[in-house]
Amino acid sequence: MSDGPLRNDTSLELHRLMVFSRTLDRIYGEHDGHWHGLEGEEAVAAGVYHGLRPTDILAPHYRGMPIASYAKGADLRRLFAGMLAKKTGYNRGRHRNDICGPPEFNLIGLYTGSLGPPVGYATGAALAAKIDGRDDIAVAVFGDGGSSRGDIHEAMNLAAVQKLGVVFVCQNNQFAISTPLETGVAGSVAARGQGFGMPGVEVDGNDVLAVKDAMQTAIARARAGEGPSLIEAKTYRVAGHFYSDAEDYRDQDVVQSWRSRDPIAAFAAFLTDQGIASAAELQAIEDTATEQIKAAFAAALADPNPDEDDLGFDTVYAAEASA
Amino acid sequence: MTRMTFQQALVAGIAEEMRCDPDVFVLGEDVGLFGGPLKSTEGLFAEFGAGRVIDMPISEGTIVGAAVGAAMQGKRPVVDLMFLEFLGLVMQQLIDAGAMHYYSAGAARVPLVVRAKYGVGPHHGHQYDLHSWATNIPGVKVVAPASAEDAKGLMKAAIRDDNPVLMVEHMALYHGVRGDVPDDPDWIVPLGKAAVVREGRDVTIVASAMMVKRAQQAAKVLADEGISAEVVDLRTIAPLDEDTVLASVHKTGRLVVACEAIGRGSSANDVIALAADRAYASLKAPIRRVAAPDVPVPFHRDLEKIYVPGAAEIEAAVRSTFQSAEAAP
Repeated sequence: MSDGPLRNDTSLELHRLMVFSRTLDRIYGEHDGHWHGLEGEEAVAAGVYHGLRPTDILAPHYRGMPIASYAKGADLRRLFAGMLAKKTGYNRGRHRNDICGPPEFNLIGLYTGSLGPPVGYATGAALAAKIDGRDDIAVAVFGDGGSSRGDIHEAMNLAAVQKLGVVFVCQNNQFAISTPLETGVAGSVAARGQGFGMPGVEVDGNDVLAVKDAMQTAIARARAGEGPSLIEAKTYRVAGHFYSDAEDYRDQDVVQSWRSRDPIAAFAAFLTDQGIASAAELQAIEDTATEQIKAAFAAALADPNPDEDDLGFDTVYAAEASA
Repeated sequence: MTRMTFQQALVAGIAEEMRCDPDVFVLGEDVGLFGGPLKSTEGLFAEFGAGRVIDMPISEGTIVGAAVGAAMQGKRPVVDLMFLEFLGLVMQQLIDAGAMHYYSAGAARVPLVVRAKYGVGPHHGHQYDLHSWATNIPGVKVVAPASAEDAKGLMKAAIRDDNPVLMVEHMALYHGVRGDVPDDPDWIVPLGKAAVVREGRDVTIVASAMMVKRAQQAAKVLADEGISAEVVDLRTIAPLDEDTVLASVHKTGRLVVACEAIGRGSSANDVIALAADRAYASLKAPIRRVAAPDVPVPFHRDLEKIYVPGAAEIEAAVRSTFQSAEAAP
């Protein structure tokens, strides 16, 4: 583990976010076989999504959207309700919270399934902050699969020429559904930063403090108006593409070898070794996560389904033209 | 009132909105010192500077994408896409933008204008009329002015609208059409309202943009033949002003719809479907469509002339509605 200048309470918050993500994953994955789990990649999610301002803009990876939304302040029960397409969800049953977080928390989700364009939207949000003279920043996350999208290259170039406060993060989990990194990505994603005139660093995506350190450096540069940065966080998708993925396209021995490098177990060991938390305190974090997530999920399950009112044919267009 | 060209009116509309709302800004390729393709942003850079008239790299998808993201933050971006031929590069962003308000149950708003030039005319190139694609995207408005007055008034309304708006600007109108344009900064031409630009009794011709001019020419010729044609300028193509179209068809009992796009998949077909659905009892003759043939736009002037539906084609279509159904071609 890297030992940056992070305070102990930050470490516990990071751990808590990872545990929440893993717990949410298991409870929701059992319910919905199409769920895009985050197992193995939680250190990237926690390190990237922790500690952003409410006014910072976040376009998360779709894998981990609920934990990103939760980190930005969204309510767990309403997020579950959105994943279950309930009336009480942020989307009122009209869309999916599993890949599209609520914009009231300055989240940018997938409004269609197309990867790439949200990185452009985040870049535009940073342009708005620049025009307004705000030091709010935008964080745009994409996978190794998404890194091949032209949109993302365009966005990095645009952010660099306009010196926008964007932190680009490649959550490299080495699989684009079934396509392995070797046949999907040529060269190093981090090295592309240099090609666009911005710092590009590769970090161990299974080390939450390393991810957090890299984010702090990139965020400071963005807030200072010095321009964008690119972080490639190398991790591994221990989860299937979706929860009930047969995964006959990859070697299960490799999956097991990465499971033994589990970022949450590693960080728990670090926290106890360093005397930051006791085993009992870590257990309490897990118990709280299980209790809160189970309660939120049960409440969301019991929530009403949307009805005709929620269909809202007359709300496709925003009604009032503001003068 | 100030007399100005269509192009000057578009720019005047943007400039007025930029003066009264600091959130309005312009972005696109060569919109700055260069003044935009066909002078589409002429003078804006000099008045508002590089901070609000922002030159962009050649990245159409991400230019519109950045505008969507800025709009989500409360800005009112006006993108100059150059040409409607580039619509294919930004469709994904328009699909997303059109869905955001609805999918977020009202939490997101995307006040965005995307301007695009097109059309067969003196510019000779970049002619494709692809506006119909965008009418198939829920949540996106499509606007097509035909006069200098509407160019300014609709542009102002589009900028004030809280939805993504595609503003298609026909290049044959750009420097060729002049009109008296109101100076009152509070004046707009509301979106979603068609205009009856020529009143008539016998037949309704529905058109937009350059086809309105061609329809008006046709109406003059037809008047000499004793046929009184009413010309409806849609102005906003999506959402369609159904009331104005239906009222006219109920009155005249005949409908000819004219568009410069190819007929297959054209927005003109929705006007026809509307009349067939809701004005069938009023119809005295089959509905006729005047559209470009289903081929890519040819380049040579002579080929272009054959390709583009003109006043003569509209006249012929109108005349055919006065023949018996059996005799109609």
